[in-house]
Amino acid sequence: MTGVRAPRGPRGLIWATLRVHRTALIFWGLALTAATVCLVWMYAIADDARRGNVPCAEPAHDGYPSCSSVEAITVDDTYTQGIALVTTALTYAIFPVAAWAGGALVGRELENGTARLAWTQSVTPARWLAARLAVPAVLLTAATGTVTLLGLWARQDDDPNLVGDWYYPDVFLGTGPTAVVYPLAGLALGALAGLLLRRALPAAGVGFAAALLLYNLLERNRETLWPTVTRAEAGGFELPRSAWQMGWNDSLTRATYHPRSHFWPLQYVETGIVLAIAAAATLAAFAVLRRRTP
Amino acid sequence: MTAVTTLDTPAAVTSSRGPRGLLWAMLRLHRWALWFWLLLVAVGAGALLWAYGPGADAAWAEYHKAGCGSTTPPDLGCDLIGPAYTRYDTFVGVGAGILGLAPFLTAAWAGGALIGRELESGTAQLAWTQSVSPARWLAAKLAVPAALLTTGMLLLTLLHRLLWSTDGPLRAAMGSRSWYQGTTFEANGTLATSYALLGLAVGVLAALLQRRALPALGLAVVVLALLTTVLGTVRPYLWPLETLTNKHEYPAYIGMVVDEGALTSTGARVADPICVDNTKCLAEHDIVGFYRDYHPSSHFWPLQLVETGIVLAVAALTVLVAFRLLNRRTGAAV
Repeated sequence: MTGVRAPRGPRGLIWATLRVHRTALIFWGLALTAATVCLVWMYAIADDARRGNVPCAEPAHDGYPSCSSVEAITVDDTYTQGIALVTTALTYAIFPVAAWAGGALVGRELENGTARLAWTQSVTPARWLAARLAVPAVLLTAATGTVTLLGLWARQDDDPNLVGDWYYPDVFLGTGPTAVVYPLAGLALGALAGLLLRRALPAAGVGFAAALLLYNLLERNRETLWPTVTRAEAGGFELPRSAWQMGWNDSLTRATYHPRSHFWPLQYVETGIVLAIAAAATLAAFAVLRRRTP
Repeated sequence: MTAVTTLDTPAAVTSSRGPRGLLWAMLRLHRWALWFWLLLVAVGAGALLWAYGPGADAAWAEYHKAGCGSTTPPDLGCDLIGPAYTRYDTFVGVGAGILGLAPFLTAAWAGGALIGRELESGTAQLAWTQSVSPARWLAAKLAVPAALLTTGMLLLTLLHRLLWSTDGPLRAAMGSRSWYQGTTFEANGTLATSYALLGLAVGVLAALLQRRALPALGLAVVVLALLTTVLGTVRPYLWPLETLTNKHEYPAYIGMVVDEGALTSTGARVADPICVDNTKCLAEHDIVGFYRDYHPSSHFWPLQLVETGIVLAVAALTVLVAFRLLNRRTGAAV
């Protein structure tokens, strides 16, 4: 093939995947651009936002600024809302991804027969599915990874008054590797639903429902993914804000909680679970495809 | 295509029992949606009834066991939320959540399965050759789901109101959920039902515009999300506000507070300079009092009914546009 002039740009299956799903590609580009612009803007106003969120006194004394001057700064609200909006959108990305993967990526092609047409064009079913999964997976990973890193950069010192405590569901999911693996699990679950149902709309619905189930199950059981710390003192005590409190006994002398240092163990366990589910769904999708095709 | 289903015996020529014609075709074609809707209503009703009975009892038992709610000063731990209350709150959340989610599911289904798929695959055009005019076809597509949606949503709304009317002390003790908060406000009145009907109308129009199932599904959900966001933002301004003023401090926080601030001696409203009790600072800024604009809970029904009227008007307009569009496309006299 060396004699043939290789055209520039993606070719073959990758090109076909990008071309068929150009609407989704445009949507992906718009979402990534919007999130990037928003986070860069948040980074730019981060210092001002921190000036609007400090202890104050009226009138100003002992080095504290006057409360009226601090209250006049409203940029901290904008900062908080901007960061929260992008973080929430990032953690909800699994839902549209799962519905799209079930409906448009796999279900529609099996329903109207274009998949079978592709399989006659010297593309084996397994390679077809591999391309249909790999291209979105790479693009999703790039986008969610970029937005997660930009988010960490825009959060700066992670002041919980501005960006929320680390154990809030959205903050937890949006500030670690979980933000990247959840959409991948949505992709795999949607593709499996598409292969099992072979129709666009039911597959979109089932993919969405599976993603909803996974998301809620893990959110409800997140605190059990790593052993909690128990602290007991005779006279009662208080825990710092950074402690994710699970429960107290009746006399408030013994508490169980996750300290801030449990963030990474919890992240790793949850990432592992979600990745395992994504891998299992992908393997199941290939197995279903092999059984259905000669 | 996997649309090979069991070959049912054709409907008897003599008038059979049960629904017939267009109605029968609708229910038969969308039996999965019908079962799903019945399941969703059953789950919502079950969750609300459980919360109303055993759930609330268990939450109260937990509250009293912790030594709270008696005449003696309450224990420090009374504002800590225990597992029984958490379970109660989860079940209430499931019931209210179904009421909040149903409009979006309806919009997605109406755009995708109800109209979009039939226009894409051509079964709609086939139906129009079977002595069913396009207008009658669309009317049946709208009327049957609208009736089922209204019934189910109103049932869940009534159960939510039943729960709401009795759990006031529990809510007060735990400091959770207020009448004006989004999901609760919609689940306690006519809004949840009217938003579901709006979702149906938006889905149908999106499908007639796109004529393809999946793009219509996406468009319908996005448009409904925009409409609900806009209406939720203007909600506090749909009925005249009441104002409370006070000389030395803020008036009590009672209801949906929309605006607050300080008053100068000329009666002008200014941003609060946060002097707190510093009289010199107050004099400097010429602050003589404070105000709060708010909706008391007696404004629940006026606010609810005005917004319901707007939502239903938008839905009616959407349906009208859908019929006109279909009429122009098919060129048939209605």
